Amino acid sequence: MADIFIAPKQNEKKKNANKTIEPCMNMLSSFCKNPQGISFEIQKEDESIILFLRPHLLTNLPWILFSILLAFLPLGIKILSPVFGINFLSSGIFVHFLITFILLYYLIIFSYILISFLTWFYNIFIITADRIVDINYSDIVVHNVSETKLSHIEDVRYNQSGVIPTLFNYGNLFAQTAGTEENFEAHSIPKPKEATDVISDLIGD
Amino acid sequence: MAIDFSFFQPVFLIKIITLIIIGFYIIFTLVVFTQIKAMGEIINIPHASEIFKTIILVNAILAISLFLFAVVIL
Repeated sequence: MADIFIAPKQNEKKKNANKTIEPCMNMLSSFCKNPQGISFEIQKEDESIILFLRPHLLTNLPWILFSILLAFLPLGIKILSPVFGINFLSSGIFVHFLITFILLYYLIIFSYILISFLTWFYNIFIITADRIVDINYSDIVVHNVSETKLSHIEDVRYNQSGVIPTLFNYGNLFAQTAGTEENFEAHSIPKPKEATDVISDLIGD
Repeated sequence: MAIDFSFFQPVFLIKIITLIIIGFYIIFTLVVFTQIKAMGEIINIPHASEIFKTIILVNAILAISLFLFAVVIL
């Protein structure tokens, strides 16, 4: 007897989700479907990454501007010091200290830039066919990796608020898990609607 | 026997404090290096870990050079 209706299998649905995507990964990618060459520690052999997310590149703007300000601060002080009658180069020993402190100051700025970049770079949200993995790097000595199976996700939603997020199409994604499990949040990710749709398709909403 | 405390001058103290700060900075760069290594194991992004390790090693070399520079000129 001919079948009237055959429900699509969950695996086929997941495979279809993979098919609609194109490789697009580079080092600064914030949104990439089916990224190539990326793997994570707890990845299974047959587990492929469907979506790779990071905060939007634009979220780096505050620390970039602050770094530029800090970099030009000594120059500003040098220009303004004669106005206030201050002469830093009045004594030989102070010149030596000044050179040392300025070099240390620029090394610290360099580290600030590196840490800020790393915090953005390693703040990753990965969606595979089976689960969601959230990797966070913060406060220099803290890194956090959490994961949950897609079957444990009950609800996925996103929000976009503010002029700049709306203009550049980025926002927050929230994945609510069952019971007492930790909820997953991806902040300031590009194309949050598309990411939400991908997860919804995978969990079969 | 009288101990000579003449080397305990403000400039000498500032020099010691400066060297301690630079020493802490060197330790800090090593901590960042360890973190980058750990993150590279958690997630493998092509070339990223190598680039960051190189940058932080250059940073550590600069910090050690600054320490030696400060020892000599201060």
